[in-house]
Amino acid sequence: MAIAKAERLMNLALCLLGARRPLTKRELRASIEAYVEAYGSGEAAAYGSGEAAAYGSGEAAAYGSGEAAAYGSGGTATSAYGSGEAAVRGPGGAGAALGRGEGATGTEESFSRMFERDKDDLRELGLVIDTVENLDGETAYVARRDSNRLPPVTLDAAEATALGLAARVWQQARLAAAASGALQKLHAAGGMPPGAIPEQGGERQLSTLEPHIPAREAAFEPLMLACRDRRPVAFDYRKSNAAHSEKRHVEPWTLECWRGHWYLAGWDRERQAERVFRLSRITGPVRSRAAAFTVPVPDQVTVRETVERWAGEGATSTARIRLRAGAGYPLRARALHTRELGDGWDELEIPYGHGLDAWLVEFGPDVVALEPAELRADVIERLRAVAQG
Amino acid sequence: MAVNAIDQTRRMLSLVTYLKDRPGARVEEVARAFGISADELISDLNVLPMCGTSFRGGDLLEIDTDGERIWWRNAEALGSDTAQPLRLAADEATALLVAARAVATLPGLRESDRDALQRAVAKLETAAGESAGASSRLSVTFESEGGVFADVDRAIAERRRLWIRYYSPARDELTEREVDPIRLFAVGHTYVEAWCRLSEARRTFRLDRVAEIKLLDERSDPPPIEPRDLSAGLVQPAATDPEVVVEVGPGGRWVAEYYPHDSAEELPDGGLRITLRTPDPASLRRLALRLGPDGRITAPQELAESARDAARKALAAYGA
Repeated sequence: MAIAKAERLMNLALCLLGARRPLTKRELRASIEAYVEAYGSGEAAAYGSGEAAAYGSGEAAAYGSGEAAAYGSGGTATSAYGSGEAAVRGPGGAGAALGRGEGATGTEESFSRMFERDKDDLRELGLVIDTVENLDGETAYVARRDSNRLPPVTLDAAEATALGLAARVWQQARLAAAASGALQKLHAAGGMPPGAIPEQGGERQLSTLEPHIPAREAAFEPLMLACRDRRPVAFDYRKSNAAHSEKRHVEPWTLECWRGHWYLAGWDRERQAERVFRLSRITGPVRSRAAAFTVPVPDQVTVRETVERWAGEGATSTARIRLRAGAGYPLRARALHTRELGDGWDELEIPYGHGLDAWLVEFGPDVVALEPAELRADVIERLRAVAQG
Repeated sequence: MAVNAIDQTRRMLSLVTYLKDRPGARVEEVARAFGISADELISDLNVLPMCGTSFRGGDLLEIDTDGERIWWRNAEALGSDTAQPLRLAADEATALLVAARAVATLPGLRESDRDALQRAVAKLETAAGESAGASSRLSVTFESEGGVFADVDRAIAERRRLWIRYYSPARDELTEREVDPIRLFAVGHTYVEAWCRLSEARRTFRLDRVAEIKLLDERSDPPPIEPRDLSAGLVQPAATDPEVVVEVGPGGRWVAEYYPHDSAEELPDGGLRITLRTPDPASLRRLALRLGPDGRITAPQELAESARDAARKALAAYGA
């Protein structure tokens, strides 16, 4: 049976962390049993000069796509994300020129792919792996002690409980795992008081609250990674009132969750303007695009204001309505003035923004819109549509 | 059991660091510190002896356990580099920081808890260094009503009954009831799950619909019930609930985003035919009215008729 991936990754990490000098891919291959078992030690094969050139450039930026991505087209600098699709390039021109047999080249390639993926996985776990040139001019890898060490951090019991709660908030697999991973690192470093991770339903709770952050939208994870890595994306998007979706090319800035729904703010390349997208309206996959952002990311991104405007919460003026006594509590809760009319009706002054007409119609015969005339007309029109059904 | 190799690797790297400083650590304690079961820990411990700085050099980790305690025989030989505390990854820092910041801004949270969260965030930001940078690209806001939140929080902590005046949007009315709070949770909005003494049943109340609240002196005494599983979403209609069919035009497609439904069939005009279930179809009269020209209820008939009727009555007031 093939050696399990976790064992292989663990060995690669320990090898890199334990080494006193940068190790070449050849050395790593020979040191890790899983590689030897799958691909041989590589030492007998026609190895050598072509290798360094084949795996240098483009490499440092290659992480996080989660797709098989082996880079290194023989010395040409390759963009780390190709066209957003899994980019598998090779064989290394130099290697082929050395006249290796097809079989050896194939093995070499699969090993390289696995090695690149493994390195990417370790980087996802936080390892800083630098690519350097060793004394013989070969590409070598090193996980420096100082750049990989967690600075000293000590949390008191209350702080540890607070983080323990924060770690349980995510209902999204990747972030939930990352959160527990972070706590484990803090524990391992001795930064947490003993027994500070309360189990589910734990002993001491923070207030008595259980917060949950849902992220069921399929677009969430790829967009989170794209925001993190500042990679442009493309996706099909259907505006709330549009019948069909349209392809959008976006430089993603931030994701924001409001009232349980996720929104993306970013630069829409076609529209040459900042736009906010609701993730549940993204239809189909999110694809990463090559190249960098074309517009600087602003310091302040205002997702919330845009969404509130959509939700009709940005009132621009006020309206006067008549409301049956006892009805329409939410309207009363927002009223600026309320006057009892005495005949079983009250008169209210309420904020007037986008969407008020639809909201008032919800209350049926318990509400009468009085002013402005525009609101009154909109309400009547909606009521007529319903009455005709 | 499916094991995610990445998560297991992450855990084992921390485990190595943890075990180095704690010779003879107890399985039970380690599992608790790592938030995993003893079985998961044992399966990690079975992998670790196959790991080392190089299998050729014979310098594998000599970690073993008798099921109760864990020993690492050659911790010194392997040197401290291999087992030093590791920096946080960007996702790790993001996951904790974003969640902690979100909770810290909840209105109504106890001040001591808010302080603890803010201190933890500050320490974590420092410890994470540049890994903390990406956490600003994700943010979460929980909505809450500060005063109501604080009262419910206190009632749960002190095991006291609550009196509330609660708004039901389905019937557009306020009802007064006594409830025994069970838990307070936030999923976008903040809710209290409680045993309702009025309906003798478990109910979930949204805090921003609590018009008035009082802590009572009576002891809260909810019957022992399993807390609701929230992972599938808040609204979970039963298979036996009556079916409602709503046909919407393009402008009413949002209905499919807000209402859990059984099916949403595309219509030729760019609209949808949405089939959903609800224990109380009358509550959807509001939806029918709200949709106006953007959609209508097609079944059940009585519901469609009650919406038309309400609209006609409303129009009468305008002399239209």
